[in-house]
Amino acid sequence: MGTMGLALPWKARISSTPREPAAAGRWGRRVEPSEQIAGGPSAAAVDATSEDAALAAACRSGDLRAYERLYAMHGVRMKNLARNVLGNPIDAEDAVQETFLKVQRSIASFRGQSSFVTWTYRILINTCYDARRSRLRKKEVANDDSEETPRMEPRAPGAHPTLRMALERALEKLTRHQRDVFLLYEVEGFRHAEIAGMLEMTETASKNTLFQAKKNLRLMLEPPRSSAAETR
Amino acid sequence: MNVTCSDRDRIFEDGTAAEWAAMEAHAASCPVCEEEVRAWKSLSVAAKELRDYSDSPSFWPRIERALAEEAARNAQRAEHRKWSPFLPSFSPAWQTAFAGALVLVLTISGWLIFHPTGPRVENDKSLLQSSALKEVESAETAYELAIDKLAAEAKPQLENPATPLFANYYEKLLVLDSAIADLRAQAGMNPSNAQLRHELLAMYQEKQQTLQEVLEARQQ
Repeated sequence: MGTMGLALPWKARISSTPREPAAAGRWGRRVEPSEQIAGGPSAAAVDATSEDAALAAACRSGDLRAYERLYAMHGVRMKNLARNVLGNPIDAEDAVQETFLKVQRSIASFRGQSSFVTWTYRILINTCYDARRSRLRKKEVANDDSEETPRMEPRAPGAHPTLRMALERALEKLTRHQRDVFLLYEVEGFRHAEIAGMLEMTETASKNTLFQAKKNLRLMLEPPRSSAAETR
Repeated sequence: MNVTCSDRDRIFEDGTAAEWAAMEAHAASCPVCEEEVRAWKSLSVAAKELRDYSDSPSFWPRIERALAEEAARNAQRAEHRKWSPFLPSFSPAWQTAFAGALVLVLTISGWLIFHPTGPRVENDKSLLQSSALKEVESAETAYELAIDKLAAEAKPQLENPATPLFANYYEKLLVLDSAIADLRAQAGMNPSNAQLRHELLAMYQEKQQTLQEVLEARQQ
């Protein structure tokens, strides 16, 4: 990797201080920047595991309040993840709703081999990619080959809209796994152990995929070498 | 812990907290690594731009409604299974196939009932017609013979009529014989025509009546 800086629009505005722990609830907490935890599972992890099992049991019993709890804990994250995969909030809401229905339909077959929430996110990711494929097929039928990747619809103005758009475009050029791992780790704040469960890969593969994703994003977002040289 | 520029990618990929601290300490004195660490972390910060955790108040009610509808459908299916213990073992595809087979069997049965097998039925009908025709023809022959006997008895008066009345009976019988000959010819071409047979019978009855009148007139 070269020494030139990224010509990212946020370069001058963001600090180089370590990022804050993901503020996305207990499922988003992770050790930064490394994930290695000394000793056995923490009390919080044990609580999370038992609550996850309780939530799964309540959903299995058909209690709609359990699904509401699942939504309260993860609904916005699920929708945000779906939004980043599908590119628009309408498709994202459809995918999240379909995910809840799939969870309800197949909760009887959930054996607890992964956590209930991990299982739910796996269903969500698969549902999102089913929707992408379905959308692509419809476009092919309509002979509309203007674009193969989802068109990102504008969202609520953020702090750095230009940065966000550049990142969205670059993410679309990554492989599916690279995009998924980047979104789950960097945006949604999941740990590699959780991502491995969601994407059915090893933790090592998740870490390596994230590394490759970030390397590729840097290459896509950094300016051509000549202009970089001029700025220095 | 001492790290060098060559450790950078490995630490970026899977470094421990201690290794990251060592890398940052190294970056403080290495402009190349300083830039790389800063750019690497910048991507993480930039990723936060993709977070939009705003909730839509109508979204959960929509999901809840869909879940409730699905639960109601499942309950209906469960109730249906309770009363139809055989159905759960068949998938909808098999149930459709069974229904199709049932419709096919009913259609074939209906066809056989209302359209009996061609050749056998045709033969039965032919035998029946032939049998009835034989009965009619033998009755006609017997009737004709009986009338011929009457005609033989009345023949002397008719061939030599003593009065105008017998002459009239003779002419009437000639007309009747002519009509009977016509009807017999037609019946020969269309033996199963019941109307012709009725007309023929009426002619025979008329001839019989006339001959009886001739014989009665002779006795007077």
